Amino acid sequence: MNDERLKYGDKIIYMEGVIVDVDDCSISIDLKGRLGFLKAPKRMFICDTEPKVGQEVGFRMSFPEQLGPEINDKYVSNIEKERRKQDEMRKRLDNKEV
Amino acid sequence: MSITAETAKAHAHDPAVLCCRAEGGITIEPANLEDPAIFDDLVDSGLLNLDGCLTIEEVLGAKLAKTCDSLCPLTADVVEGAKAPSAPVEEAAEEEAPAPAVPAVSAPAAAPAAGGVLKIHIGEGKDIDLEIPVGALGGGNAVAAEVPTAAAAAAVEAAAPAAALEEKVVRTLTRKHFKITDVKRGPETKIEGTTLYIREGIEAEVIADQELVKDFHLEIITPDLYHTYSETIMDVQPIATKEGDDDIGCGVTRVLDGVVMMLTGVDEGGVQIGEFGSSEGYLDENIMWGRPGCPDKGEIFIKGNIVVQEKTNMERRGPMAAHTAFDIITQEIRDVMKKLDDSLVAETQELRQVRRPGKKKVVIVKEIMGQGAMHDNFILPVEPVGVLGARANVDLGNVPVCVSPLEVLDGCIHALTCIGPASKEMSRHYWREPLVLEALHDEEVDLCGVVFVGSPQINAEKFYVSKRVGHTVEMMDADGAFVTTEGFGNNHIDFASHIEQIGMRGIPVVGMSYCAVQGALVVGNKYMQYMVDNNKSESGIENEVLGCNTLCPEDAVRALSMLKSAMAGEAVKAAEKKWNPNVKSSNVELIEAAYGKKIALVENEQSLPMSQKRKEKYD
Repeated sequence: MNDERLKYGDKIIYMEGVIVDVDDCSISIDLKGRLGFLKAPKRMFICDTEPKVGQEVGFRMSFPEQLGPEINDKYVSNIEKERRKQDEMRKRLDNKEV
Repeated sequence: MSITAETAKAHAHDPAVLCCRAEGGITIEPANLEDPAIFDDLVDSGLLNLDGCLTIEEVLGAKLAKTCDSLCPLTADVVEGAKAPSAPVEEAAEEEAPAPAVPAVSAPAAAPAAGGVLKIHIGEGKDIDLEIPVGALGGGNAVAAEVPTAAAAAAVEAAAPAAALEEKVVRTLTRKHFKITDVKRGPETKIEGTTLYIREGIEAEVIADQELVKDFHLEIITPDLYHTYSETIMDVQPIATKEGDDDIGCGVTRVLDGVVMMLTGVDEGGVQIGEFGSSEGYLDENIMWGRPGCPDKGEIFIKGNIVVQEKTNMERRGPMAAHTAFDIITQEIRDVMKKLDDSLVAETQELRQVRRPGKKKVVIVKEIMGQGAMHDNFILPVEPVGVLGARANVDLGNVPVCVSPLEVLDGCIHALTCIGPASKEMSRHYWREPLVLEALHDEEVDLCGVVFVGSPQINAEKFYVSKRVGHTVEMMDADGAFVTTEGFGNNHIDFASHIEQIGMRGIPVVGMSYCAVQGALVVGNKYMQYMVDNNKSESGIENEVLGCNTLCPEDAVRALSMLKSAMAGEAVKAAEKKWNPNVKSSNVELIEAAYGKKIALVENEQSLPMSQKRKEKYD
């Protein structure tokens, strides 16, 4: 992983967001200003008190930049497999409920 | 910010730069100088040029020839009467030479970067305020392993009292190994010779055991099936049981060789348990073989894929139910193992817990995850890596739990294992924990025990538990301590705090963690002088390969010699600002030279097969 491929890597900006969901292992954040949504493992979130929906969070980030036009087939195949499996399992779940 | 006389002494050989505007003719004092800790960032950003700059020891007491502005490097043409430089203290200390230099403060993790902004106010002229983001460039505070000085062994030996006190064997643990070469399904669970049969239809019981478990599939993965697609691996466990009423950590343990339990899982919607950073894909491309926590090449996996109730994959009860239900199968195998005839024992191994009075007393503090869900561990089950009888460390409040080294090696931790495949310590890791084994076998130290402490989510709780760790280690009268952690993230906050709590009691601490590039520490303190990085990946990242960046024997060897150096009072060089893998290799060379033995380094992800398409693309 070399960050030299980033063209704008040093453009770090301060961001704020609102916690919209907390479960036992993750927190979900809506970025203020309709700038997106972020879900991260709880372990990567630093908090002095228990994280709760509605709390505001702050962090710095820059823009995700495409590293190149290449497509990594390993990831594509994993994503496809995952999607197929989820579709199948969802169908089975739906049938069960009917 | 001016510096104190003490800081000036510690940085005697660092560049001298004025901290604020100074009039010509003054005598230069520490108060006129800037703290060298911030120079790296200023040089990186081009705000400071240290070419030809004199050192602090040279300029102290000399006269400033002309009026200079703040942040002006003091060169020979602006200073009158500079002293001659003394030779910097050689840090490669000889045998007993106690390092005269004040140990360098761990530069990378130091606080300045935490403050975020360095404000410089220039009063003269037009009132210019400069705001320079300190650490904006090297921001991550990369922590590379630092250099232990050579000859540690000799120094520790010299420090130990001459009166050789006798070693004391506190207790022993016998491991009886049973060889398994084949795993099949059959009408009942049994072991015949070296073949293990697993009862057909056992799946129904696994499903019935837990309300949340909705489906379950069992697969037997033999080496020829390694190139099979698999869901994220949640855990790898040894199959072991106690003989009779023996407790974990003593008596006799029976273990199957050549076969491991492997747990994978999804929820009913098909979402992986413990989503984020998973090692799903082909097994042979995603497992770092032979790591303490991983399967070895050639082993058979009894792989169970559990489907838990929809949306419980992110709740605490989901992973817990998966682990508990999967143990039904392991327990049935354990019950069979108990009845096995001793004639089938392939190998008997005796592990001894040895205390070495008179030697330096060390303790291992292992930080385990305790943020909740799969960031949890079952502590001290009745059976090795079992579930029954164990307490989850989250339920225990993540407070320190003291165990014997043999309890660790006998499976006292059933790890629910957190996310981040490359650095997670799975249940099998504890079964073969390299640091415990290395410290237990090292005749120069007296390993008094292992302390497990959970890493809670909330900072207030983190400091609550780390204070307990401090007191626990204090009452042990330890001479040195290791603090290890798995993965990275907010657990580094309590990791740093544990080291601080132990360090402030005057006990040298070696910290071990995966850091490198992605896992750079978020905080630091002055006690974090002795750090060992567990990284093995080529580029210092979480590479999604199971177990790649976990603690290995080579890390244990480095940590031990570093702690010995620290306990002997030798200086350890401060880490470089950015992660540099060469630090590790030069340390390994130093240790090899001092001990006269070769340290075999483990392979990393580069040794794994790459899919044909990837090969064409990248090689």
